[in-house]
Order: sequence, then structure tokens, then C-alpha cells
Amino acid sequence: MILMLANIGLWICISVLAAYTVRHYFFTLNRLFGRHRQPYVDIVHADWPMLTVFVPAHNEERVIRDSLDALLNVEYPVERLRIIPIDDRSKDGTRAIMQEYADAFPERIFPFLRDDGIPGKAAALAEAMLADSGEIYMVFDADYIPGPQLLQQLASPFFDPEVGAVMGRVVPLNVGNSLLTRLLDLERTGGYQVDQQARMNLRLVPQYGGTVGGVRRAALEQVGGWRIDSLAEDTDLTLRLVMNGWDVVYQNRSECYEEVPETWDTRIRQIQRWAKGHNQTLVRYVAALLRNRRTLPWWQVLDGVLLLGVFVVPLVLLMGWVCTIVLFYAGYPPEWGRITVLAISSFNTVGNFAAFFQVATASRLDGSRERIRMLPFLLLGFLVSTLSVARASLSRASWLRGHPVAWQKTERYRAARAGQSRPGGGGGTPREPGDV
Amino acid sequence: MPVNRGLVVAAARLANPEMSEMVPELVFAFVLVGTILWISIPFIPAYWELVRPKDASPLNAVGQDSGLLTFFAASFSARMTAEGLLGTAVPPRLSDGSLVRVHNLMTPLAPTRTPITDVVVLMDDTPLPAGTSVATECLARRTFHGGPNSSYRAILGQRDIKLAVGSSVLRWVHASGRLEAARGTILSGRATADREILLESGVRFDRLDAPLVRVVGGGGTLETPIMPMSSYAPFTPENAIALGANYWRVRGDLEIPPDTSLGGSLIVIGNVVIGAGARVQGSIKAHGTMHVKPGAVVMGSITARGRLVIEDGARLSGPVISESVVVVGAAVVGMANTRTTVAAPRVTLRPGATVYGAVMAADGGASVK
Repeated sequence: MILMLANIGLWICISVLAAYTVRHYFFTLNRLFGRHRQPYVDIVHADWPMLTVFVPAHNEERVIRDSLDALLNVEYPVERLRIIPIDDRSKDGTRAIMQEYADAFPERIFPFLRDDGIPGKAAALAEAMLADSGEIYMVFDADYIPGPQLLQQLASPFFDPEVGAVMGRVVPLNVGNSLLTRLLDLERTGGYQVDQQARMNLRLVPQYGGTVGGVRRAALEQVGGWRIDSLAEDTDLTLRLVMNGWDVVYQNRSECYEEVPETWDTRIRQIQRWAKGHNQTLVRYVAALLRNRRTLPWWQVLDGVLLLGVFVVPLVLLMGWVCTIVLFYAGYPPEWGRITVLAISSFNTVGNFAAFFQVATASRLDGSRERIRMLPFLLLGFLVSTLSVARASLSRASWLRGHPVAWQKTERYRAARAGQSRPGGGGGTPREPGDV
Repeated sequence: MPVNRGLVVAAARLANPEMSEMVPELVFAFVLVGTILWISIPFIPAYWELVRPKDASPLNAVGQDSGLLTFFAASFSARMTAEGLLGTAVPPRLSDGSLVRVHNLMTPLAPTRTPITDVVVLMDDTPLPAGTSVATECLARRTFHGGPNSSYRAILGQRDIKLAVGSSVLRWVHASGRLEAARGTILSGRATADREILLESGVRFDRLDAPLVRVVGGGGTLETPIMPMSSYAPFTPENAIALGANYWRVRGDLEIPPDTSLGGSLIVIGNVVIGAGARVQGSIKAHGTMHVKPGAVVMGSITARGRLVIEDGARLSGPVISESVVVVGAAVVGMANTRTTVAAPRVTLRPGATVYGAVMAADGGASVK
């Protein structure tokens, strides 16, 4: 009985992993040989829409200045841009810094301060948006440093009335600080340069990531606004937009620096949080997505399902390994001989390394000649992520729904500057690549 | 034969029952060590990069010039200013050792068969000879008059630039005044002007940017007046799904009837025709093709996945976006006080086409008859 279950389990695992392997290779080959689709990135002049930039923050005194300075220096018509830093019951100096900037730029920065209500990013955004009437909402986490052209680039897709949300590319700033930051740099490169852009090229489901991106107010209202009971409000919004016929656009050339975790503890917590949020979204939408196959093209439904299931894959992989070992030591004869041997060996080699192929291709597309050497160490990151995500996927929180979510913060590492900069002075903010 | 003797001894030892029992363990150890060594190979350069990083700085992302078409011209201008080439006495060399050639009425540029590899500074508006080839940057202090069938790497004109028949610019050209391109000119890369760009028919280009871009010839541009919405019969699409206030999605082809008005934004899962003399106050997207008929006015953006044709006399505030081809007839895109963008893989401009702003053709554009 156990052997039969292990056999069935193994074949299920192989099937799931084969689907993701094909997906990885398909996306990577598309980026190597396919047409780069970026229809909006060339819009350099336009009657730009009213834009509201939200910077949700909770105890962000270390980083919020850099973010506000960068936003004050972007090239966007001043009369069409409102910057709204949201302080959600910070206990450090975040609120004082926001107030300082609001005093210095009373016509540009409008802090939104929260002391009660449901805590959390989604709840803060939902409440702040009620108080604003902009056409387009951009969201930047407090540790992000937008470049001068970024807002125009991210606003340009919204001239297409079908675009509901836009996502830019996240580029790690603290790459050289540790082995982990170097590995995360590679992961981000693969995730954005190949994965997101391929989905954009193929008209699949690029993901709105909750930061370095924006959403159209009309689209947000049509799909019911922000969900405050999801750990992954960004994935949740992506799915609702797509199921309601809105386009989600990824712009590879709209890049923004971020700070990635520098310790394994922080990284594990981060990825477990993502896994739980993603799994919640899977439970919530997979059936609705499959039911939606009449209005959505089948390839979008398929990609949506695979996107939702992406954090279940490590669990499936571990199950596959366990099943393989059990069957091997039990001396269970392969039912279909060579096919079984081929399937098992493929899933343990080609399948597992499809993601590495993706990262290597992304590095090549980015023109990085040396950092690709770090690829073997990604095996370490892969194992840690696999175990962490599998553990998160087994937790009860992964499958809960309907509970409001409090702040889930990633630890910041940027050193507080000895002398604080003046608002708008850009003190310490890297403006040119060589400065960082 | 010592080798054979060694093998014989080894075989004899393995034949020993105690030793033969150890063979599987030995093989396992051998395979294990070999596998570890094999796996370790790629970790050697990885470890080297970790301890002595060569490529650990953030990707060169923020601050790229993608949105600034005059980036190279501005950089060159700054460099020339720093090198003293904009003064009265031009130095014979730049700081990097490049030679500088100065030409004026007294020392005109002589016809030459070989490409000029020095930086060229033209002090007056003496026309250049036919067939000139400049493989480096060219700085024109006064109006630049290019000779026919000439090629240039890059030109910075402090006044107007006039490119003669059959010219080609390989990287960029910027005129502080007007840029004129005669038929047969190829403007690769970026062509920009602070006043206007005038193209004859038969010019190929990649990216154009100026307050005004116009194709000369034909019957000129037909400027349709923008009438108030109340002067049109209102039109609301049938079977439209409301996405919000004045925001609809329509499945199937749609024609906005002539002389009617539509107030709002529209997504059409099909082809769109904006009828002659109709007015749209909002943005329209077509999954198929889009056709803007003569005299139609669109105060908003238009987007099409397929071919997008703007006929003579139409007027759009823009932007105009297509994932295939945009064809602009003798119509007006953009406003004098609000520049806009026409962006598509391929753009065709017909005589009389007028764009206030930028024309971006990723796979190439052309002005045609």
C-alpha cells in the first residue's frame, strides 16, 4: 500500500515538476530568441496623468529619507504629482521625518498618519487611497530609491486604457555585502529579466509586485480595492485584475534599487511570508481562475495557475525525493522500465536545474560577465529556499483566509547616516551608477 | 615487467576473500570522492569571485538615458565646452589625444575619398563637398550644410542642420534650431532638434524628437478644428460592459459613427473605426486594427495591437501606440503646447504628417510619398 502510494506520489511530483520545467525553459528560450515586447517604454512626451505615489512605512527611519529625496528629484510634472508617505503607527523617528519633509515641501508631500484601524500595508494603502482622488496610484516601499525617469516610465503604460497595473524591475543595491546578497541579486535577475519579461512578451500574467509599480484607480475600484486579509496583497490584486480582463504590464527598463536581506534569518522569514501569502492566494483563486477559462485565453489561465502554485513546488520536490528514496530502497520495480528511470533522472537533473539556466541567461542578458560565476552557490540558496518554503507550505497559516494581516517587515540594513541630510538634498542617495 | 607484476599482486590481494568483501566500499568511496571533486570544479571560480569580487556592484540601472533622446548630444556638448571647442580659439587636440580639424571659408573641407577620423569643427556655414564621410563627431558652429551622399557618425549643430540628398547619420544628430533631411536620408539612432524637424519623402529614421516634426510636400497638413462635445450627436457603444464611470469594454468590432461623440475610455476586443468627423474624449484601445478617418478628433490616447492608420485631417492629442505599424497621413498628432509620442515598431509618415513631439520606431520608420 505504502509502495503504491509512493509510486503514485512520485508520478504526480514528476508531472508537476515537468510542467514547471517546461515553463522555465520556455520562458528562458523566449528571452534568448523571442521578440522583446515593450510597447510603452518609448513614450517620452505626453500629457501625463495625475499621479499619487504612496510610500507605506512602519518603523523606517533608516531608509525613508533616501526614498523621499529620490521621489522629490524625479522628472514628472510637479503639479501632477502627489507624494503621500503613509506612517502606520511607527515607534521610531519615521513620523518626524515625514513631517519634516512635509514642512519643507508643503505642496508636494502630504503625509498620511495612522494611529488606529487595522494595521498592515494593505490596510494602510486602502485607507490612504480613500483620501485621494488621483487617476494612477504608484506604490514604493520605504527602502526603494527610484531614478529620475522612473515615474514617467511607469506611468506611460496607463495611456493604454486596458492596463490595470504596472510593475517595474527591482534591482538590489547592497549586492556586494554578503554571499546571500549576491545570491539574491542572481535570483532577482532571473525573476525579472527572464521570468517577468517572458510573461510580458507572451501576453501571460506578469505579476504586480506591490512596490515599484502602480495601479489604475478605476481598475482597483472595479475589482474591489485592496484586500487587507492577504499576506500577498500584490499577488491577490494581480489575479483579480487579470480575471476581470485588465492587463498587468511589466516594464523591464523601469528599474529601481532596493535593499535585499543580508542575513539568512531575515531571508528565511521573508520567503516564508511570501510562501504563505502565495498559498493563501492559490486557495482563494485557483478554482475561480479555472472557471474563468471562457473569458480568459487558456494560456493566461495556465500561467495564472502555475504562478499561484509556484510556492508549492518546493514541497512537491521534497515529496518527489522522499518517494524516490522509499521506492529505491524498497526494491520496487519500475512499472514502465526505462520511462520511469528517464523520468526520475530528468526530474532530479534537468528539472531542478531549469531555474539555474534561467538565472544564467538573465545574467547574460544583463551583460554581467563575472557575477555568473556565483551560480554554483545558488545551489545553497536553492536548498535553503526549498526547505523554508516547504516548511511554510506545511504551516496552517499558509492555508488560512479571512484574517486581517498586520505589518510583516523585512529588516533594514542601511546604516543611519551620521549627519542627517536636509529634505530634498538627496544626501547619500545614489544618483549615478558609479556612486553606489 | 614491473607493471604486470603489480597487477598480478593486486589481483591476488583482491582474490583474498577478506579483501574482496571490501571492494564495494572501495568503489563507493572512489565514486564519492570523484563525485565531490567533479561537483567542486564549478565552485572554484565561484569561490574566487566570492573572495575577490570583480562584479559585485549593483546593476547599472538607475540613471540610464532611455528616456532622454538628447543624452548623447548633451554629453558631447558638455565635453566640447570643457575642451574649449566652443571658444574663438579651437585647440588642435582634445584631452584624450584626438585630433581636431577646423574648417571655415578660408580653409574649407576638401573632397576626400577616405573617411575623416578627426573631430570636425565647422566654424561657418560653408557647404560640405559631396561624398564627405566623417567617422567621428562633427560640431557645426553655424548652419550645417551637408553635401549630397555624405555620411556622418554624429552631428551637433549649434544652429540649423541641412542634410542633403542621400545623407546618412549613423548615431545621432541634434540641431539647436531646425533639422532638415532631404530625400534618401537615413537618420539612424536619435535625431533631435530644439525647434523642428522637417523631412522630405523618402527619409528613413529610428527616433525623432522635436517640438514639431513634419513631412513636407503634398497638400500640406489639414488641421481639423476641435469643436465642443455638445456640437456632436452623443454615441454610446451597444453591448458594452461598464468597467466604471464612462469606461467600457466591447467584444467584437466597433465603429464610432461619423459626426458623433464618445465621452469616455473604451477597450475593444476587435477592430475599431473612428468615423469621419467623430470626436472621442478619452482613450481607446483596439485588440485588432484601428482606423481614424478624416476629420476625426481624439482627445486622448489611442492604442492598437495591430495596424493603426490615421487619415488626412484627423487630429489626436496622443500618445499613439501600436504593437505593429502606425501610418500617419496629413493629420496632426499632439498639440503645440503639449508634446506627445507616436510609438510603434514601424512608423510611416505621409506628406503633411505633423507630430508635436517624438516619433519612435523601434524597427525603423520612413517618410513616404
